[in-house]
Amino acid sequence: MPIITAENVNFSYDKKRNVIKNLSLCVNRGEYLAVIGHNGSGKSTLARLFNALILPDSGKITVDGFSSDDKKSLFEIRKRVGVVFQNPDNQLVASIVEDDVAFGPENLGVNRAEIGERIDYALKAVGMENFRKSSPERLSGGQKQRIAIAGVLALKPEVIILDESTAMLDPKGRKEVLSVVKKLNEEEKTTVITVTHYMDEVVFADRVIVLNEGKIAMEGTPEEIFASSDELEKLGLETPLASRIAKKLKEKGVDIKGEIFTEKDLAEALCALKRKI
Amino acid sequence: MRIEAKNLNYTYSPKAKDFSVRALKNVNLTIEEGDFFAIVGHTGSGKSTFVQHINGLIKVQKGSGELTVGEFDLTDKKCDFKSLRAKTGMVFQYPEYQLFAETVRDDVAFGLKNFFPNLSEKEREEKVKKAIELVGLDYKRIKDRSPFEFSGGQKRRIAIAGVLVSEPEVLILDEPAAGLDPQGKKDFLSLLKKVHGSFVKTIVIVSHDMNLVSEYCNRAAVFSNGGIYKVGSPKEIFSDAAAVEGLGLELPVTAYLENELKKAGVEISSDLTEEDFINNAAKVLIKKGDNA
Repeated sequence: MPIITAENVNFSYDKKRNVIKNLSLCVNRGEYLAVIGHNGSGKSTLARLFNALILPDSGKITVDGFSSDDKKSLFEIRKRVGVVFQNPDNQLVASIVEDDVAFGPENLGVNRAEIGERIDYALKAVGMENFRKSSPERLSGGQKQRIAIAGVLALKPEVIILDESTAMLDPKGRKEVLSVVKKLNEEEKTTVITVTHYMDEVVFADRVIVLNEGKIAMEGTPEEIFASSDELEKLGLETPLASRIAKKLKEKGVDIKGEIFTEKDLAEALCALKRKI
Repeated sequence: MRIEAKNLNYTYSPKAKDFSVRALKNVNLTIEEGDFFAIVGHTGSGKSTFVQHINGLIKVQKGSGELTVGEFDLTDKKCDFKSLRAKTGMVFQYPEYQLFAETVRDDVAFGLKNFFPNLSEKEREEKVKKAIELVGLDYKRIKDRSPFEFSGGQKRRIAIAGVLVSEPEVLILDEPAAGLDPQGKKDFLSLLKKVHGSFVKTIVIVSHDMNLVSEYCNRAAVFSNGGIYKVGSPKEIFSDAAAVEGLGLELPVTAYLENELKKAGVEISSDLTEEDFINNAAKVLIKKGDNA
């Protein structure tokens, strides 16, 4: 059953050029969906439409039964869909970490005791429990982003949208955030929509949507999408680095068996080659 | 210009003892003229604090070591920071968020006006034109348009043109490729490669992207908890896989593959760039196959 439905959605920032063009899409409950596309393809706009931060010019978005057509529903939509943006500096509001994380639930009217629990849960989930009383401005970029993610987790949303939210993290921070997100998806059945340029993050998704010029250009499992490397390149994208290296090695005559998406796949294929020798 | 730090220390809020943080601890590091240098390390390791020292955005604290950039002694009270900053261009993370002027031309000219107020209108125009063309954009077509009309990758080019216009010798970039799509990233990095050596002498990047480091940089320094863990070529840095991962970093794909193959008894010795790795791996793996 879909949690988000978009029907014939059009959107334009300047009333001249449509950034989203007649787009229809279902996001299933509990799904891990990756949205990719070149800069300007409409990915971030779609993320903003999904939580009613902006509203369609025509067509409609429905989230958990609440329609973007109805002004009274907007609050319900925003309560259910949390977005973590690219730049943490644009989304931290308070001068103490725990106040920042509490900001969302306070606005939802969550009672005081539960807010405390949610802060504990959210900071722990992003590995920042030791910074509860710190000032966000004194944290590094990656640490700030984890606080921003905690702020969304504290809302206990049905859907979490990550709009390139790992772009500024170090590899360890990125891995931590990805594993938190994966865990939320698997254990709490939270629907995850990740908008990303990292092709190796796409590998984890159940389904991938490729956007181009505000329309869905490709759709499928990561395997299906990465099998069409030429088409991806035409859309300004690429397959994961390990796949590209595998392709070039094959062209040179190295006998690599099977589909390669991750560096682990490639290492195994190359080591298998050695065992045969 | 050679950048040389000796026993450099830095403490944030040194007087507020409960809140003070030692961000740099006895950093000794030399970046040679001509380097395409990478500074890597986990978040909070001191990378940004260090690079902000290079152009005097953060001043060397009293008695906290030495720092020279070419002829500039940054511990000297009389150091001419304005000239230093013109020669060491700094590009922050997501520089496209710093665009502000009404037209591309005004935006790109802003730094130039501040650093070189005595230039004539014509000289300035020429430098702006040169910088915009250098980043691969069409001056005539875009000069009067708003910088906000462009895509992410193009905005970033405009922002960098605004730094290159002052003709710096050293270009410092914090996470240059973050947030760009794959094509934009490829284009942007080849732009950096193009300006390096032809226009800018030294490039220093701060990055978490180890594939970028092994592909583009000749040397790198690994920061950890405010100190330097290691300085060397990507090959030297990434040779110790366990140590790299212990520092919160990851291996470039090429280094990971070399390491896994080594465990399986196959030695591939590339410089860790994609092309060199592919050539060497093909040689080793096909030759062995033929013998079988």
